[in-house]
Amino acid sequence: MNETTHQMQYLTFHLAGEEYAIGILQVKEIIEYDALTKVPMTPPWIRGVLNLRGSVVPVIDLAVKFGQPESPVGKRTCIVIVGVDLGGERTVMGVVADAVSQVMELPPEEITAPPAFGTKIRTDFLKGMGKAGKKFVLILDTDRVLSADELQVVASLQETTEPNRRPGADVSTQNREQGR
Amino acid sequence: MDKESEEVSPEEITLEMVLKTFLAEAEEHLSKMEEMLLALETEPENDELLHMIFRMAHTLKGNSGSLGFAQTADSAHVVEDLLQRLRNRTLSVHEGLISLLLQAVDFLRRSISEETGETAAVSPAVVDFFRRLPSAAAKGGDETPTDLPAQDRRKEATGRREEDRHSWNDRTRSLRIDLDRLDRLLNLAGEVAIAQGRLGQLLEWRGKREEILEAHQEANRLFIDLQEQVMKIRMVPVGPVFRQHLRMVRDIARAHGKSARLAIEGGEVEVDTTVIEHLKDPLLHLIRNALDHGIERPDQRKAAGKDPCGRIVLRALHDAGSIVIQLEDDGAGFNRRRIVEKAISKGMISSGEGLSDEEVYRFVFEPGFSTAEAVTDLSGRGVGMDVVRRNIDALRGAISIESREGKGTTLTFRLPLTLAIIEGFAVGVGEETYVIPLEVIAECLELPKEESGNPTGDGVISVRGRPLPYLRLRHLFRLGGSAPRRESVVVVKSAGKEAGLVVDFLHGEMQAVIKSLGKLFQGLPGISGSTILGDGRVALILDVTGLLHEAVRRQPERVG
Repeated sequence: MNETTHQMQYLTFHLAGEEYAIGILQVKEIIEYDALTKVPMTPPWIRGVLNLRGSVVPVIDLAVKFGQPESPVGKRTCIVIVGVDLGGERTVMGVVADAVSQVMELPPEEITAPPAFGTKIRTDFLKGMGKAGKKFVLILDTDRVLSADELQVVASLQETTEPNRRPGADVSTQNREQGR
Repeated sequence: MDKESEEVSPEEITLEMVLKTFLAEAEEHLSKMEEMLLALETEPENDELLHMIFRMAHTLKGNSGSLGFAQTADSAHVVEDLLQRLRNRTLSVHEGLISLLLQAVDFLRRSISEETGETAAVSPAVVDFFRRLPSAAAKGGDETPTDLPAQDRRKEATGRREEDRHSWNDRTRSLRIDLDRLDRLLNLAGEVAIAQGRLGQLLEWRGKREEILEAHQEANRLFIDLQEQVMKIRMVPVGPVFRQHLRMVRDIARAHGKSARLAIEGGEVEVDTTVIEHLKDPLLHLIRNALDHGIERPDQRKAAGKDPCGRIVLRALHDAGSIVIQLEDDGAGFNRRRIVEKAISKGMISSGEGLSDEEVYRFVFEPGFSTAEAVTDLSGRGVGMDVVRRNIDALRGAISIESREGKGTTLTFRLPLTLAIIEGFAVGVGEETYVIPLEVIAECLELPKEESGNPTGDGVISVRGRPLPYLRLRHLFRLGGSAPRRESVVVVKSAGKEAGLVVDFLHGEMQAVIKSLGKLFQGLPGISGSTILGDGRVALILDVTGLLHEAVRRQPERVG
């Protein structure tokens, strides 16, 4: 299989009533949803971490990240393990899916640019919309959605990266100054 | 070397391989020589040291000669001659001569890199140096035998430092392993294979459930052993990195008309190789800083009633589940007033009032703060203290500064044991399991009944008449759910303080292989990493120091 046919294949999955697609090259594997270990003091869209053959992998709930409620774990709930570039480092992450549906071919002519509004998620997270019968699948730009900036877990809790932070304060005591 | 090559089949030996071994060995000998020359300076009567230096120069000569690097061999011969005269006592050890010999080591380095390089020729400056070395030594050594302008020599010195870094990087990418350790690994790997085979057979023959389970547990145990052994291989002593600075301290001190000595303590403390890599640069900057700004000139030191020779101590130790690296100097200490002035002029603060000394000192770690002449008179060295901070941050470490004006400064880095194995204690809260490093645990108690169901989550209990503040993990981590009727308190100590962590269950001691939580969770307060439990689930390892900080931080939220 050459590069172009690879690029045309996408894994689609359902999440909170939408069908999303991820380029097949980014997908490493799909695993059953098992008990995750919650990580305290992280935003709600981080479901937790799991043990993937000895590596600790964070699991992200994109629905919650896009402002929708967390969907209940069902029989078909699973975790799509994707490889992403996180601040110049290749890492693996898990993305919760209500159900994985299929691997589909989407030739470039079947993909249109996302509309300026109307989609449930920010359009810059999308590579485009693919036609699947009468419906559309949202093709995710995983490197952007799961980028370091988007996933500033710690910074979103405590403003450690804020440029105006008072210098000299210990990192762990910094957010005491936040309210000033 | 020859012995080694005999064991390799002839077609596998390439010139490149031989050269690589030669270069690695030569560098090793040269750094050892450096180290010993510095030691010789303090103990001029130590003949054993002198013999060892001599033997190294001799080996270097032999190796270079056998590979056809004639010029390097000749140069090494000159050094050997000089050392021979020291052995015969026709020359005596003194500071100037040591400097000269150290310089000779530098030139030998250069000679090797030039002769093994593309041109295969040694530059005239090097040849000239060794030609004039004997007479310079006879004259007393203080006179430099080269006509190189000072500018050039400085360039050389920096060039050498870069080379050093290269060789260091090479060394960290390839690790030398004790053969015994490797044998143990091989043994374990073999045992794992046997156990796996047995398990496979049992499954195929539909063996008894208990038997299968037992075989599986056996294989698992062996495998965990193997994993631990592999992890341990990554641990290397800090000594070599520390010792690399011995020479630098002497050189920089002399260049500034000062005198200082570096003492090393705890060189045998083992840390992960990644920690070593990240420590290298910070130490370089900090030691240079201590020499530049800390250690005073000998006359000033004498006037202040101190030993004219400054003392810098580089120390490594294990403490409460972390690795502590300390850099101590007996210099002038930080000047609070000037740091405050500088911070005000940079618009960082409006006044120094209400800031503790430590908070003030921390300004020096701000990007661009120390690069200007700011705190001291010796300026323009461009010492990047922010590099120090970035590196320590990358290791999720903490920096603390203690300084007394006129007495000296102590910088302490507390680094987590990334990738290491720790003795942990597993506790349960609801469905979650957490691991607390065993070193920080003082004892475990039952939570008094009257404290259970406390709605605020934290409080104070009395332990043998002393008050002990406690916090409920369930509450702190916002886990929800309700606690069982009987809760337990794990008494932890951190930075001299004691506190209690209230948990649901005490699971007991375990060996935890630390797994990094990755970039995503970097800097998460209270969590230092994770480990994988026997059932395959991930358990978070608590960073007690961070956790208590977090608890203190949340305190005003409730009061205000």
